Amino acid sequence: MPTSGAREVAITGLGAVTALGPDVRTLAAGLIEGRCAIGPLTLFSHAGRCRIAAEVPEAIAMPLATIAPATARRLSRADRFAVAASAEACRDAGLDEALRRGAALAVGATTGGMRETEEAYRRRRAGEDRRFRLGRMLGTALSTSAAAVSQALGIFGPRATFSTACSSSALAIAAAVETIRAGRTPLALAVGTDQLCRLTYAGFDALQALDPEPCRPFDGRRRGLSLGEGAAALVLEDAAHARARGARVHALVLGHGTATDAHHPTAPHPAGAGAVAALRAALADAGVSPERIDYVNAHGSGTPQNDAVEVAVLRTVLGRRLPWVPVSSTKSQLGHTLGAAGAIEAVVTVRALADGIVPPTVNLRAPDPAWADLDLATTPGRRAALEVAVTSSYGFGGHNVTLVLARAGVR
Amino acid sequence: MDRDVLRAEVKALLAEGLRLELAPADIPDDSPIFGDGLGLDSIDALELVVLVEERFQVSIPDEEIGKRAFASVAALVEFIAAERGT
Repeated sequence: MPTSGAREVAITGLGAVTALGPDVRTLAAGLIEGRCAIGPLTLFSHAGRCRIAAEVPEAIAMPLATIAPATARRLSRADRFAVAASAEACRDAGLDEALRRGAALAVGATTGGMRETEEAYRRRRAGEDRRFRLGRMLGTALSTSAAAVSQALGIFGPRATFSTACSSSALAIAAAVETIRAGRTPLALAVGTDQLCRLTYAGFDALQALDPEPCRPFDGRRRGLSLGEGAAALVLEDAAHARARGARVHALVLGHGTATDAHHPTAPHPAGAGAVAALRAALADAGVSPERIDYVNAHGSGTPQNDAVEVAVLRTVLGRRLPWVPVSSTKSQLGHTLGAAGAIEAVVTVRALADGIVPPTVNLRAPDPAWADLDLATTPGRRAALEVAVTSSYGFGGHNVTLVLARAGVR
Repeated sequence: MDRDVLRAEVKALLAEGLRLELAPADIPDDSPIFGDGLGLDSIDALELVVLVEERFQVSIPDEEIGKRAFASVAALVEFIAAERGT
């Protein structure tokens, strides 16, 4: 437990744009029902082994509130996702203009506006544009999402973009927590966003990391991940500040841990050395023992390697408690949203704690026989009183981040 | 080229080239292209120079000429016609 006097960090606002819907309400409902949002890939054509993805429906309207029309018109999908999720989170937290003004902003992303950039190259090659259009290239830089969010919501505090592959937005949350703990600002917005694009789709397919069928994390027949897209945002707040203004606290961030594999460009360390270190560091930072973990929101990508290593990591750290702890993968419903996954799964974990519901692993028919003792949460809408949960994100190149969250009021 | 045809082409280029949520016919002839009217900004200005140069094979070499050419749709039509000697 943090020493007395240390600042406690509360989560007071949530926002999400996912393949299940345009807000947290539709996400939470879809999770409880065990809906799988993975379907045909329609955003671009791809000739390869796999043709499915978890796409955010085009029909989802994303109000861009106060952003200048010329800027709004040119935003990439990833930037629009980020702005919409951030606006929802700030609304949910009841942040008015004055409160938003001084907030810090931390965004995690991996490819930003890559799809629009790809489209600019396609148009150029096809002769539709004889010169590159500035307006089609502006979303290329990863930093544009943070710029769009701060412009749309009037956020003037310290701002940073994190890119550590699939743990990008988990790291953004950790950084936002540190900004609050250090007393630099009582409020921070942590955001993760990524959109489907040809680069990542073709890349993961070439790596033979995509399951041709909707991904089946922890299944004995799992063949890989399904790609997804979306964004999530969390308002993090000094708990004393939240109490003073009467804000509703969804959950607490008790701790975070980061550690590195330094092993291989894509494969995890065979024993999960970095992942074990990240989980242990997060528990130490939170001041809780492994015995107190009630739920694990796994990275659970569905690749043969990841899931095997991840179970080994959980066995190492949780030991004999593991069979009593439900473990599930949100990626079975939303696909792997890469840079957005850490933030989306943090939102899912917060709702699990707040609602007392274990989000399921869907598409899981027959668990790997080696894990017969595990509770892989195959039943949708299962109720359980959860106090402490961990959510882990493991990025290519060995970027491991784990967060420890707790239900409001738990110490 | 007929001025009406050229005017329609310029408006279509503005609406489609800049991806405006506005039908070409709804773009006024005489109000300023930049400023509040169409909601364009300085990045649109840079894009529009490229679009007009490419589409109509004219040259807008500096800001002074740009200001004159982009004063309004009518001014842009006259500029293109004069550059092309039509």
